[in-house]
Amino acid sequence: MNFLGYERPDGSAGIRNYVLVIPGGLLATKICEFVEGTRTILTADSGSGRTGRDRETIARTLIGLGRNPNVASVIVHSSNPGSGYPELKPARIAEEIAKSGKMVEVIDVSKEESTFRALEKGIILAREMVLEASQLRRQPFDVSYLTVGVKCGHSDTTSGIAGNPAVGNLFDRIVGAGGTALFGENTEIIGAEQVLAKRGVNEEVSRGILEVAAETEERAKATGEDIRTINPVPSNIAGGLSSLEEKSLGAIHKAGSAPIQGILKYGERPEVKGLYFVDNWMSSSSIFTGYAAAGAQLVIFQLGGGGWTGGDLLPTSTAVVAPLMWTTANPKTLATVPTCIDFYSGTIIEGKDTIEEAGEKLLQKVLDIASGTFTKVETMKHIDPVQIYLKDPCF
Amino acid sequence: MASRGALMLSAKDNVATVLEDIEAGTDVSARLGNEVRNVKALERIPFGFKIAIVDIAKGAEVVKYGESVGIASLDINKGEMVHIHNLEGARGRGDMAKGGSK
Repeated sequence: MNFLGYERPDGSAGIRNYVLVIPGGLLATKICEFVEGTRTILTADSGSGRTGRDRETIARTLIGLGRNPNVASVIVHSSNPGSGYPELKPARIAEEIAKSGKMVEVIDVSKEESTFRALEKGIILAREMVLEASQLRRQPFDVSYLTVGVKCGHSDTTSGIAGNPAVGNLFDRIVGAGGTALFGENTEIIGAEQVLAKRGVNEEVSRGILEVAAETEERAKATGEDIRTINPVPSNIAGGLSSLEEKSLGAIHKAGSAPIQGILKYGERPEVKGLYFVDNWMSSSSIFTGYAAAGAQLVIFQLGGGGWTGGDLLPTSTAVVAPLMWTTANPKTLATVPTCIDFYSGTIIEGKDTIEEAGEKLLQKVLDIASGTFTKVETMKHIDPVQIYLKDPCF
Repeated sequence: MASRGALMLSAKDNVATVLEDIEAGTDVSARLGNEVRNVKALERIPFGFKIAIVDIAKGAEVVKYGESVGIASLDINKGEMVHIHNLEGARGRGDMAKGGSK
């Protein structure tokens, strides 16, 4: 029940070994184009014109990505429209990341002759950091060092019957072994919140779950639209799901059966290990970035796919520093996109595996990936843009 | 080869999820643990879609996972497919909030 990971100064264990350059923008992108083993965030959410609460969410996301165990060292640069705000000052972000004990360097473009001088400096620095990171060797860690986040998407009726229960069983195993598991999607608990709320470790957590559902439903009602025209999304309906409630009741199966330790904000790091509900948005452009910022070394997209129109699966890289693995329980989906699916749990529907057996196999797959085996989409170099989950209007 | 039939997820459910493409007139075995309910499909029902295992009156709750997944918008006969044409969600109904009906 071990995996081979990279030991970090704060005692955590990385399953990958990247140098991260943040925030996004020309400087970061170009450094990463030149230097192997680097990662950056690609987003238009710079913080400019955003409320203090939203700027803090952006800062929490950047800091969290920097602190993620998969990151060996970090470069923070000042060439970003949001850099002037107190929350987003490079020195502050660098300082918060450095609390984890890893190496963080700041490139202050105003102190260089030009952006291009800063770029030269960044490339040299990133190459040194990557070289140093490459000297680290993997060593065994037990499952308690793992944090895994999940999203279910293009859900169909196989998701609630088999795909999500298999992931839920994986989550029970990870949490049971002392690790951490993250699930979320605040719209997809509407209609199932009464079931989830019973699982809070205390009254406060249970109440919090009901409040998230109520707040989200209020926002939905304020639009004046039937939520079924928004979510379930068309591919859900084409896959046999008829209402948001039905989608939600299937969706919560991915959370297994462990007690819910707490509710986290987008990108918030849990203080103690266990199962957490994250108040986030379902979009795969957004949710995985937040999980990685919360410390997830690996993220899972549990795909229904009954309504999938074909072609390879995207996203590939929205967790920025955490590999993405795809699972499905739909045999038709598996046949459509075998090049992207890492794990198939349709064996539950076919009567070949119990949920327990599929969960055990899924754990073995997760440990294999955690030890260095690529996920299928990890073999692609495509960088997806990400959207940080911001709740306030922009000005 | 034995039919995979359909799956109920709770004893309270009035619908089952079919586990293969079902043609009209097929006898479907809806399983809940060791218990089996037989129902004749009145129409074609694709893999993963829902079949009513009892008559469901207009206005009654459609139950799956032992919980309400919405309200029947038409009278639904045992053996008919249950989907967006005869099932309405009851949650997040901004359209109804605006009209003041609920």
